[in-house]
Amino acid sequence: MAYSLKVWGSFKNYQNTCYRNYLYASKGLRVIGSTWSPLSPLKGLGNDIFLMGGEPHCASKAGTLPEEAREDIVGAEIGGLGFHSCSYLKLFIGEILRDKVGITDGTIKEGYPIPDLIWTTHLCSQHSKWYQEVSRRLGGIPMYAIDMVGGGAAEKDVKIVNYVSDQIEAGIDWLERVTGRDFSDELFVKAVRNEIKVLVLWGNICALNMHSPAPLDERRLIALFPPAIVDRTTDESVKLYESLLKEVQEMVKTGQSVTPDQRYRIVYFGIAHTYGHPEMARILRDAGAEIVASVYTFGTCGNFRGIVNGKWTWEPIDPHWVDGLDLSTRRKAIMELVKIVLGWPTWQGVRSYWAIEEMAKAMVREYKADGLLLAPSRGCETDFRNGYIALQRIFRKEIPTVEYDSDQVDVRKMDLPGAKRKTELLVQLMEARKKGNAR
Amino acid sequence: MVKKESDAIIEKFRSIIENVTEYGKSLHEKGRVLAGYMCTHIPEEILYAAGIVPIRILTSHESQAMTRSYIHETYCSFSHDCAYQGLRRNYDYLDLIVTGSSCIHMGEAFNVWVRFAGFHEKSYLIQYPHIIHTKPATGFMVESFGQFKEFLQKFTGRPISDEDIEEAISIYNTNRRLLKRLWEFLRSDKPPLTGLEAATVTLASQVMDKQECNGMLEQLIKKVGTERARERSGVRLLLTGGSCDDLRIFELIENLADRSTIIFIDSCTAARYFWFEVPEGRSNKLEALAEGYVGRIPCPAKDNVPGTGEKKRFRLIKQFIEDFRPHGVIFIYQRFCSPQPMDVVGLKPLLLRLGIPFVDLELDTTIPIAQFRAQLDALVEIIKKVVP
Repeated sequence: MAYSLKVWGSFKNYQNTCYRNYLYASKGLRVIGSTWSPLSPLKGLGNDIFLMGGEPHCASKAGTLPEEAREDIVGAEIGGLGFHSCSYLKLFIGEILRDKVGITDGTIKEGYPIPDLIWTTHLCSQHSKWYQEVSRRLGGIPMYAIDMVGGGAAEKDVKIVNYVSDQIEAGIDWLERVTGRDFSDELFVKAVRNEIKVLVLWGNICALNMHSPAPLDERRLIALFPPAIVDRTTDESVKLYESLLKEVQEMVKTGQSVTPDQRYRIVYFGIAHTYGHPEMARILRDAGAEIVASVYTFGTCGNFRGIVNGKWTWEPIDPHWVDGLDLSTRRKAIMELVKIVLGWPTWQGVRSYWAIEEMAKAMVREYKADGLLLAPSRGCETDFRNGYIALQRIFRKEIPTVEYDSDQVDVRKMDLPGAKRKTELLVQLMEARKKGNAR
Repeated sequence: MVKKESDAIIEKFRSIIENVTEYGKSLHEKGRVLAGYMCTHIPEEILYAAGIVPIRILTSHESQAMTRSYIHETYCSFSHDCAYQGLRRNYDYLDLIVTGSSCIHMGEAFNVWVRFAGFHEKSYLIQYPHIIHTKPATGFMVESFGQFKEFLQKFTGRPISDEDIEEAISIYNTNRRLLKRLWEFLRSDKPPLTGLEAATVTLASQVMDKQECNGMLEQLIKKVGTERARERSGVRLLLTGGSCDDLRIFELIENLADRSTIIFIDSCTAARYFWFEVPEGRSNKLEALAEGYVGRIPCPAKDNVPGTGEKKRFRLIKQFIEDFRPHGVIFIYQRFCSPQPMDVVGLKPLLLRLGIPFVDLELDTTIPIAQFRAQLDALVEIIKKVVP
């Protein structure tokens, strides 16, 4: 029987509360930006910082309010943005142009809540341009973007770690100047430890999917990692992920899963399009095939051991390691935060083809995949679009591998019937291979 | 009629840019070491100081499908075409391929060369910041440039001295000043050369040994200033956008029904390549290089002033508009390029405020001549107020 997660309600509640706090804050500071950023520096400003990050907000809005999301995207295009631009970016700017915002509990608030500042990162060629455009449209919101440079094993490159740390130190000075508030190192360090802890805990939860049956499926994983993205700096977020880890560990012990019928295990590379297209997930489910591992859901806000002796591993980091981190000075705390953020798997491969391939090889091996599903997103540069072609070359002789284009939220960019046929093909190929008929 | 010397020099530049392979091979035969580079975010001076001639990888505009098996179709045609040059082995005579981390599309073109075109053991990626207007970015560049210098010393087996770098800086700055002087002819209402000619020379300079290029440029500037008749520029057009090495587009723009002249091109294949200088005589040569490269007209992929999110390039474009007085602006960028169109969205309101009409030309491997001509004719008509 399919297992129902006990913590599910608490996760949804946390996510909804974060967004509602941002929408209806009567005091404190509203901050937007990529939540794919180190968030703790913001928390050094006080306990009244309300966040609404670009990517998770857009992804969850598209899932919760698909019609609204489509209108936002078209609205942004009418406002001058190109068809080929990032779909998250367009959805976000569409909300500003339409002067209303929708969140995960189904609320649509008329009147766009103006942020006090923008704190973000830059990695792909559009990442910080997104918020430059937001700032411009809203009349010049103060904005600070951190250049993450990126690349395989960046967290182990002292030059890169120092560079990103220097920017954050300068960013903290900027935060004090622009808000007129004093920065509290005590609050900052507390937030850093929480942020790192949540990222490590999520890595541990994902690693439990190496077991058979995998306790969690892709659709559950997609829904469970947003709280880590929305705000992972709080005590509450740590408690949530600790309780989830405990529950999933128990599931593994008792052999339970949210989808117990798992004849085929799939490794998936792509942004979580099955969220917006449940019919794709259904084709797999009907055949007893489950996505048990994906770089996006695991690695957008999660940390693993990564490159060890020149080879990637998805083995988790011991959560107790976080408790022992020396965060005794602002600089030390910044550097630990930078190392963990640069270590996110999703960032490893953006500018490093060897890192993508190492991650894929390890994922197929460690999660014992029967098939590989590659769904590059036409609207996202950081989604390793080049990597997919190389991955097909690497894996097509090893395990059934199927590729089709998708998009993170823009349904117009996806050939849904074609993608369905290819998904069915993947199932047939896995069946043939299992029966020993594959050629 | 006796051909003017300036025409002959421009023809020579054009011949070089149309026959880069022949030119590169001729240098190789003379014993020169050659490095291809894929993006202008590399300190060419360090290569030159190491005795290496940098040659920019440019494209052939052939319709092809080969690269679709290597790069996703939603990468820009310039990156596909550059990757194609590697896969076709058109640059096999190069000793090295170099790039600086810049936009993701060109990064993937570089990866194709490294992985599939035989350059795995002879390639170097310079880590280059993506937001350049910060103090930490300058420090990061200095360290990256230092690592690049070390790599080149090992690669060539000879040390690179401060004197070598200083000399290279001086040669490159001379080249930049000469190119700038050439383009400044176009500020005049009656310029003695066309935008196409200036663009041709600028492109050629990116694949040439700079000392040879400087000699030709000095002669050209002298001759252009003295022997050429000055004609009215007609409709003055400023181009702004991404890489464009297809001279046929510039030919098209300057051969419309009404007389029109390209008076400035803000792109990495034109002004962004040379419109800056590296400080000379500094004790720390790598710091000087970093300072110089930070001072460039920024590529939209790297342009974000911390604290305000301002785009420095917009300020410079306003300045170019004041200095060169265009009647219209052409936004020219590669289809699927991410950063350029994002800037266009912000630039359009600025031009509307200034009352300057504009048009978008979205580039692909080949040019849709009839479609572009119709767009450009319409722009010129609007400028001339033929259309009410």
